[in-house]
Amino acid sequence: MTVSLKTDTIILSGTCGAEEVETLVGYLESLPGLSVDLGAATAIHTALWQALMVFRPRMVGASMSSLVDNRLLLALNAFLDDTQEPPVKLAESSSSQ
Amino acid sequence: MDELIPQFAIEARELVQQASDDLLSLEANPRKRESLESAFRAFHTLKGSVGLFDFGPMLGLLHQAEDLLSQARVGKIVVDATLIDPLLAVIEWVDSSIDGISQTGRLSEAQEKQAPRLLRLLTGEMTEPDANAGADAPTPLPEWASALHEQADLVDAGGSLIAVRYEPHPECFFNGDDPLATISRLSDLRYLAFSLKEDPPLPQDYDPFRCNLLIEAISGGSLAEAEAVFRLIPDQVKIFTLPGATAKQASAGPEASPDRSTDRQSTTMRVDSARIDKLIEIAGELITAKNGLVTLAEEARGHGNDPLARRILANHHEIERLVASLYSAVTQARMIPLEHTFRRFPRLVRETSARLGKALDLIIEGETVEADREIVEELFEPLLHLIRNGLDHGIEPEADRLRQSKPPRGRLLLCARQRGDQIEIEVADDGSGMDPQRVRAAAIDRGLISQGQASALSDRDILQFVFAPGFSTASSVSDLSGRGVGLDAVRSSVKRLGGTLELQSTIGCGTSFVLKLPISFSMTQLIVVQVGDERYGIPISDVIETHKLAASAVQSIRAGKAFVLRNRTIPLLRLGELLQMQSPNSHSSDLKVLVVRAGEEEIGVSVDAIAERAETLTRPLAGLLHGVPGIAGTTLLGDGKVLLVLNMEELVQ
Repeated sequence: MTVSLKTDTIILSGTCGAEEVETLVGYLESLPGLSVDLGAATAIHTALWQALMVFRPRMVGASMSSLVDNRLLLALNAFLDDTQEPPVKLAESSSSQ
Repeated sequence: MDELIPQFAIEARELVQQASDDLLSLEANPRKRESLESAFRAFHTLKGSVGLFDFGPMLGLLHQAEDLLSQARVGKIVVDATLIDPLLAVIEWVDSSIDGISQTGRLSEAQEKQAPRLLRLLTGEMTEPDANAGADAPTPLPEWASALHEQADLVDAGGSLIAVRYEPHPECFFNGDDPLATISRLSDLRYLAFSLKEDPPLPQDYDPFRCNLLIEAISGGSLAEAEAVFRLIPDQVKIFTLPGATAKQASAGPEASPDRSTDRQSTTMRVDSARIDKLIEIAGELITAKNGLVTLAEEARGHGNDPLARRILANHHEIERLVASLYSAVTQARMIPLEHTFRRFPRLVRETSARLGKALDLIIEGETVEADREIVEELFEPLLHLIRNGLDHGIEPEADRLRQSKPPRGRLLLCARQRGDQIEIEVADDGSGMDPQRVRAAAIDRGLISQGQASALSDRDILQFVFAPGFSTASSVSDLSGRGVGLDAVRSSVKRLGGTLELQSTIGCGTSFVLKLPISFSMTQLIVVQVGDERYGIPISDVIETHKLAASAVQSIRAGKAFVLRNRTIPLLRLGELLQMQSPNSHSSDLKVLVVRAGEEEIGVSVDAIAERAETLTRPLAGLLHGVPGIAGTTLLGDGKVLLVLNMEELVQ
């Protein structure tokens, strides 16, 4: 399991390929308010990064495994900071679930 | 006439060639900076040379042309067909003027009359650069790049920077792309940002497998490296060199291959080829002169002076070795790369293909292979013929090609390889190929073979008939897609150079001609024979064996004669008759017969006497004797006599 749920946190570990995005999106959609921890991942496919950008979960763990480019996390955080306003419709619909 | 004219002619021809090479290269890749610079230099130098003389309007034309190139260099006008076509027209005009100039010392009137037309071409409307064209021009920085640049300045300034804007295709995940991983491969990534191209959709519309990202980055790596990283998805990225600390903007051309011709030009010296020929001649004479030592040694032995004979022979061996290396060194000096002939084709192909309205690519390979100067120069005509043939009759019009699921642009390959002491040149097209059935029908039609023979021959063999003299007539041009036209002439000129010409063709896939030629006119072993009072040389490679034949063994068969050798009947010809000599009726008891190979058959040729063997250098015939059938060349004997070397295969036909 490269995408797994542990209490309130989704943990990405090992090599997370594009096919994992469905699992990730499944958790993010069904259980809003979860945090995501990328610390144990060694490779993360673009599709997963994109899902994080869309669902904007809280990111825990400031550093990444040395195998993943840390700049990607920095850039993701920069994106999340720059676009403070969460997409309204998405937030509403996910909270209503 | 001005004594500088011959010098001018030599230089002008080279500059014309250089300019036309560069213009063609620009035509293929308008962004190739080196070609633009080189073309400008060629025009500039040519103008300078022309300025020394009074060639009427030529100076003005070249000035105008140079001016255009200079505008193109600074990006005022765009390098495209409206620029290249007139420049090429000027170059062709200069090229055709040079011959007249070197003969008369001035520009001919006919040439002068064309000048106003060319000037009109040159002063015609050129394409102004627009914002998104012309990479050679200092293109304005796109907005996204300058915005990114501001960010990069925050990070670090210094060194050249590459700005990348990457919009992955929405379906790119299905192709296995991982855009963020790809961009992470850029070295020295100074800045990276990504965002969603469109606002996030409703959850029920959100498709996690559609890529909706815009990725921007700044890298301190090279443009070439960035292009390599994105080489598979050039349509999804914009790469731009930011004007940074480095003054020189890297060329954005995808082809950064160094100009091959400029690398090899140093260390050469121009020598009149006549001087080298003289050296070769002397080396050739030395070879025959050294043979005299052998007779001398025998004479010494005859006088009972064995030690002297041995010393003479030892000397002979030493001289033989030195002469051989001298000979090969001088032969080397005559070697020039095939490029000298090959480089003339791109322009000709361009003209012809434009006239025929067929789009095609001429691919030239192996132009660095070297061969004797004479061979390289003599190759032009036969190769031109084969290339024209391929262009005209091989490559189909675009519509036909598309119907056959071929690429719309035809492909013409001119490729040279060195194989031992031979060069192999292939001229291949990917056109329609030749139809053996049609060749068969045409061969029967022309009475070259009978119906029965024709059906017994394989397709491959039957195709060889396109080389038969007289195979092609005007009426067969359309019949056989004109393939026969003059192919016999091509084959015979290749043969004259000591080479062979082979053909392979597959219907629908194209035709390939392979020329095999000696690299140089090498040493030939000759057998010297006597007919009447004349002596002739025959290459030993042509002779299978020699025989002494009793006159009674010769049988008359119809009009001819034959004899039986090891249970096979071999036709017998008299060399004197073949050479149409008035031979005295020498009905001696024995006949000396050479069994020679003529194509697949063996033929006996009787001579009056078989004399010595000789190792000589055979040169192709020049001047009046050029093209006399049956004569392969001439050679000089040790006593200074000229010996005609026969081509037996041609003679017995």
